[in-house]
Amino acid sequence: MRDWKRIAEAHGLFLTARELDRIVPPLNALEETFRPLIASLTPDLEPDVVFLGEDFE
Amino acid sequence: MTILHAAESLRAGRVSSVELTTSAIARLDRHNHLRAFITVTAGQALHQARVADRELASGTDRGPLHGIPIALKDLFATKGVRTTAGSKIYENFIPEIDATVVAKLHAAGAVMLGKLNMHELAYGITSANPHFGPVRNPWNPQHSPGGSSGGSGAAVAAGIVYMAMGTDTGGSIRIPAAFCGTVGLKPTYGRVSRYGVLPLGFSLDHAGPLARSVRDAAIVLNAIAGHDSRDPSSSRRPVVDYVPGEACSIRGLRIGFPENFFFEWLDPDVESSVRGAIARAESLGAHITPVRLPDVAALNAVARMILLAEAAAGVEPHHADRALFGPDVLTLLDQGRLVPATDYINAQRLRRKMRREFDQLWNHVDCLVAPTTPNAAPRIGDTTVRLGGRDEDVRLATTRLVRGINALGYPALSMPCGLSGAGLPIGLQIVAPAFDEALLLRVGAALEDAGVGIPPCPLE
Repeated sequence: MRDWKRIAEAHGLFLTARELDRIVPPLNALEETFRPLIASLTPDLEPDVVFLGEDFE
Repeated sequence: MTILHAAESLRAGRVSSVELTTSAIARLDRHNHLRAFITVTAGQALHQARVADRELASGTDRGPLHGIPIALKDLFATKGVRTTAGSKIYENFIPEIDATVVAKLHAAGAVMLGKLNMHELAYGITSANPHFGPVRNPWNPQHSPGGSSGGSGAAVAAGIVYMAMGTDTGGSIRIPAAFCGTVGLKPTYGRVSRYGVLPLGFSLDHAGPLARSVRDAAIVLNAIAGHDSRDPSSSRRPVVDYVPGEACSIRGLRIGFPENFFFEWLDPDVESSVRGAIARAESLGAHITPVRLPDVAALNAVARMILLAEAAAGVEPHHADRALFGPDVLTLLDQGRLVPATDYINAQRLRRKMRREFDQLWNHVDCLVAPTTPNAAPRIGDTTVRLGGRDEDVRLATTRLVRGINALGYPALSMPCGLSGAGLPIGLQIVAPAFDEALLLRVGAALEDAGVGIPPCPLE
């Protein structure tokens, strides 16, 4: 699992132990589902960075 | 009384817009304890009502919303009227423009009663706003109305207004609709302009109505849908008449019944009510077709990743002043700041991939039906909900059946389909292919005509 405390500090975010307790479990849970999905991506897949209504058309 | 009935009464001279508006203001005053409103514009509303009465009397008819009292979630920009987004950041913000949706509702002659309370910054599902007070559920004030459009759900369910606008980034129209026993419509992404709507997740935000009936929601969609050059996500696809006919049929329609995910870990009352509505659809001649969906849990994770990053980006200029935020919103913003750019981009790539997978579904069925939420409204302050013998975080449970649809952009409707043992409303969710709101609303109206629904909220 990622060291969220150090990542936060690298972003200039100095969180209290209580604040860390609130953010670490959900981030770890999200990581657990999200990280394996990355392996399914192929190079031809472009991001929907600008998600336009026209994408459907 | 629905918008349709009120519109008929107005034109028959049985009631005036001023009378409807005066009655709405009185009801709002009586139920102020619900904290549904942040700002009340009673004077402006009465002025608009007088104008509507004069216009209708002189033969100028702007359509079914003309003279009807409505309200707006407090993140739609309203020219000259405070727009807070339920946040301390914007507590004194007075826009110089109307959001496109607001301008369209003005053009349709609607009477604006005020701005509605909501979850802070639309970033949550309880509407327990730390700055403007918790919104309460009209069915039981000890319970949450859901969110983030909680004031919208409460104001419609309490019979204060005929319709309220909400927004939906991860279920925020459909959840309060389900918890408050109203209809809630999230149109297709790009169908309704987001211009002038304070963003939460740029690529996930949708604007739509909460109303007393499916046909009322369709009437509102007729008024607000369409291309807007000021919103880059706005679609140029032509709009149609969305209001279902009086004798709409769903005979022969292929209604998808999800075999996986949507019927797991449900409150038994929710499951039986939703299955009852599906049986009703079958009795009307629809073909209930079991379907296996792609990985919805993965889709939810992708949608969460995107929202964490987009919401944190939007609030970045204010993030350093931590006293501005309630603790739950601050926690989500902190999480969002830790999402690396690579994860955000890959989440958007996964979203494209998943949408292609989900699009295949429409080769086999015309629409999907499912519960809106796995549970009825929790008590205010509850942090977990017990479902299927396990405790689940109330936010994750409440959003688990709705969040992914935002990433796909499909239109979705929540309509009441039963009451829990505790007397709280239960929502049925219908999902259709992109831009097929007309089908979605036809299914909803057919079910409503066939008796799927609940009695009016017993609030006096």
